[in-house]
Amino acid sequence: MASLALSEDTLALFTEGIAGRYFHIKATDEFSNNRNLAYDAAAAQGMDALYLPEHVDAPDQSCYRVLIMEQLGLRECDTFSFRMRKALETIPQLQARYIEPKGASVRTGDFFLLFGSFDQPSLAAELFNLLEQARVQGHLLRTYPGLHRHMTSYHQHLLESVGIDGGPLNRGHRHLWGERIPGVQWQDLTTSLDDLAHPGTTVYDSVAALCNHYDEVSGAYVISEQRPYAVQEESLPDWLNRDQRIEEWEEALDDLEQRAMAVEMLEAEDMQAQRGDTNDAAVREAEVDIKSIVDERDTLKRRIDMERSSVQHALGADRSGARSYRYDEWDYLQRRYLTHWCRVYEETLIGEDSDEVAPLTEAIRHFQPIVQKQLEQIRPTGLQRVSRVADGDELDLNAIIEARQDIRAGTSPSERFYSRKERMHRDVCAIFLVDLSASTDDPIEPPEPFDWSEYDENADENLRDPWFSGEADEFDDEPKRKIIDVQREAMVVMASSLDALGDAYGIYGFSGYGKDCVEVYVAKEPNEGFSHKTLLAIAAMQPKRSTRMGPAIRHATHKLMQSGHAMKVLMVISDGFPQDSDYGPERGNHDYGVQDTSMALKEAQQKGVESFCVTVDRSGQDYLRQMCPDSRYLVIEEIADLPDQLSKVYTALTGR
Amino acid sequence: MSQAVNFFAAETEPYYLPLQDEVEIFRAAYSARLPVLLKGPTGCGKTRFVEHMTWRLYRETANQLDVPLVTVSCHEDLTATDMVGRYLLKGDETVWTDGPLTRAVRTGAICYLDEIVEARKDTTVLIHSLTDHRRILPIDKTGELVQAHPEFLLVISYNPGYQSVLKDLKPSTRQRFVSLEFDYPGVEQEAAIIAHECGVEMNVAERLAVIGERVRNLKQHGFEEGVSTRLLIYAGELMSAGIAPRRAAEVAIVTAISDDATVQQAVADIVDVILP
Repeated sequence: MASLALSEDTLALFTEGIAGRYFHIKATDEFSNNRNLAYDAAAAQGMDALYLPEHVDAPDQSCYRVLIMEQLGLRECDTFSFRMRKALETIPQLQARYIEPKGASVRTGDFFLLFGSFDQPSLAAELFNLLEQARVQGHLLRTYPGLHRHMTSYHQHLLESVGIDGGPLNRGHRHLWGERIPGVQWQDLTTSLDDLAHPGTTVYDSVAALCNHYDEVSGAYVISEQRPYAVQEESLPDWLNRDQRIEEWEEALDDLEQRAMAVEMLEAEDMQAQRGDTNDAAVREAEVDIKSIVDERDTLKRRIDMERSSVQHALGADRSGARSYRYDEWDYLQRRYLTHWCRVYEETLIGEDSDEVAPLTEAIRHFQPIVQKQLEQIRPTGLQRVSRVADGDELDLNAIIEARQDIRAGTSPSERFYSRKERMHRDVCAIFLVDLSASTDDPIEPPEPFDWSEYDENADENLRDPWFSGEADEFDDEPKRKIIDVQREAMVVMASSLDALGDAYGIYGFSGYGKDCVEVYVAKEPNEGFSHKTLLAIAAMQPKRSTRMGPAIRHATHKLMQSGHAMKVLMVISDGFPQDSDYGPERGNHDYGVQDTSMALKEAQQKGVESFCVTVDRSGQDYLRQMCPDSRYLVIEEIADLPDQLSKVYTALTGR
Repeated sequence: MSQAVNFFAAETEPYYLPLQDEVEIFRAAYSARLPVLLKGPTGCGKTRFVEHMTWRLYRETANQLDVPLVTVSCHEDLTATDMVGRYLLKGDETVWTDGPLTRAVRTGAICYLDEIVEARKDTTVLIHSLTDHRRILPIDKTGELVQAHPEFLLVISYNPGYQSVLKDLKPSTRQRFVSLEFDYPGVEQEAAIIAHECGVEMNVAERLAVIGERVRNLKQHGFEEGVSTRLLIYAGELMSAGIAPRRAAEVAIVTAISDDATVQQAVADIVDVILP
């Protein structure tokens, strides 16, 4: 029995290597959460993910590679670039069958149109899949010869486990899996399958074969009622096909825009040339021309927007920029780990708003001297001269004298008579994990209730509606400082000071919603330098959703372990207890989350990561005591102290 | 640390397959004595290119040197002293001995400083006066100012993606060089290089080149660099020495590029599906 959890990470890397881009490797169970898209095949793919079964009843793990290659093969063979219009132009058999369905628009999916041309659309789709499989299999065996033995063994397993029903589809699949029975029925179909495996075939050859064999194949099945091809909103290949079509439209849009610009420029030149000239017929003609181009462009733009939002709605948000990992979770009620329970998406934060940076640079100016002074205490500064070494930039005088004495005395001298400067290394890597839950949007201090006791109705400023006046006062106030503001400031101050210290440090934010979507936002990786980009990224840290701490800590630990530094430090900065929609059996009960977080911190400790939790929640004492190892937490009473306190903690942790 | 290469004994041209116009540019830079900076990932052919160019250029000049190319592989502990020279104890005397850079400056060889960013900062400052119109090398320990030989040329290489920004060339250094960018060749060219270097069949070389292309997609995971052309050539050489292809790829490629078990497994899987 092969299991996805065993080799998920390797498969993700394998896929990235082969495809040249990242795909999330997900279990089909995660996929079935999307109720729009039911798909019963062994494996499937979305825009940014490959879906594989959690367990396959196959002899070894290599079956997953076969499944992955079959999915990637569909992309390499351009299956999703099928266009109905081109098919109609090149395949007369299809033209003979095709009747444009009612309600079809430019946005109707091409596969929907294709299969709609047959009286049993879902059967046509199955036959098409079989033919494409033959084509992809041929391509894979040519391009990846090493896949042959894994494919053969997986197919052998399929031949043994899937029964024979005598139908043409079953026969076709068994043929692809390597079953050769001479003289049996459906020779034409299997010959077509073999032909499609040859080099140079395209998706249109498969469609032509579909038209040729459909009647014969459908005659073999007794079908009581017409089974439609998946409704437009349900077919996964159709959506992928439509996703690709957007790219083509975008190219067309670029083209149109360039034309529009060219015409506009021409027109401007004409206008200049004809200024004062009363012959405006040419001008009008140019106007008509540009108007039609601009109209066309706008229509296309609208269509692209609409299509993109439908595709996103159907396939879910595109997370191709993120990477994802699965982590276990500790269920304290059952006292066991739930394996591969949470999916963590790691995304890079990219800030663009330079205005947001101003308060941060102000914070650096204000706090950095204090923090820097703290941190300097731990720095073994500069270079040290090491004497009596075999190789160095200066002769060591004492050693020379000794050597001379030895020579005079007739003994052999030591050869270590150089000295050299050596830099003292500090090999620390720290990760700051900042809670970006929705509650960090709260103001630092609750607003003072307005004192109405001295309310004077006749006072000058209150001549207008008193309610309005009260609100106007609030508007006049400085915008309230929020917890997130202080967190951001603390991070930039730490960042700029640590940069001077020379330690490697990363800054991550975390949030998310539900176990399948824990988000870790990377503002700075430990191996990056501190730059304006870092400031922008920290400024882009925004309050998001929940606080599922366990997986975020496990992910940060994982990253620290990969960093390869001798000392690893993890600092968690939060504003409350861990909480998420399905973090524990009851929503109101935080024990589950606290226990899981505590376990994640223990795991980190076991792996040699020094962890520390800082919270700005004044009631934090209660749960932090349960969550963290002794003396590894701090409750900050006055949130403005955060930068100062952080640096103290950091000094204490790493300055040994 | 420093390595002198004598080609003229062998009389064979070091093989190099030009990918763009780098040969012409280097030749033009040499004739104007402009220092050259080679940028590119490890094992993509920078050193070979310098050897090749030295061989070609020094065949055409009258200055027949025994050591036309002095290569210094820089490392973290390489100081200015190591390059310029130092006092050695000889009997009762301390004797000054030139370092590789000084030797090249005096004789008019090409001095190639490989992976210059690895060296300590004081070395980069040393080369400043050598790379502008002055072309002098000050030796502060002896108080000597060495005027560079007319045929001396400084070539340095560095690898931008390799280390963090902490190890980057200063603009004041970088802007003294004509810079040539190198990258791994495309599949066809890389296959030709592999086939030439290790004498394997073209189809085997092509498979190795495809492995290179795909494994480089994984650049950022656990290993800073993709698999280099050099490693692919090693694999090919093992194959032509009779080692089974999978085993050769395993020892030359899979275990060489990363210590991370997951990455190793993924690379092994990629190799496994690509090799016949």
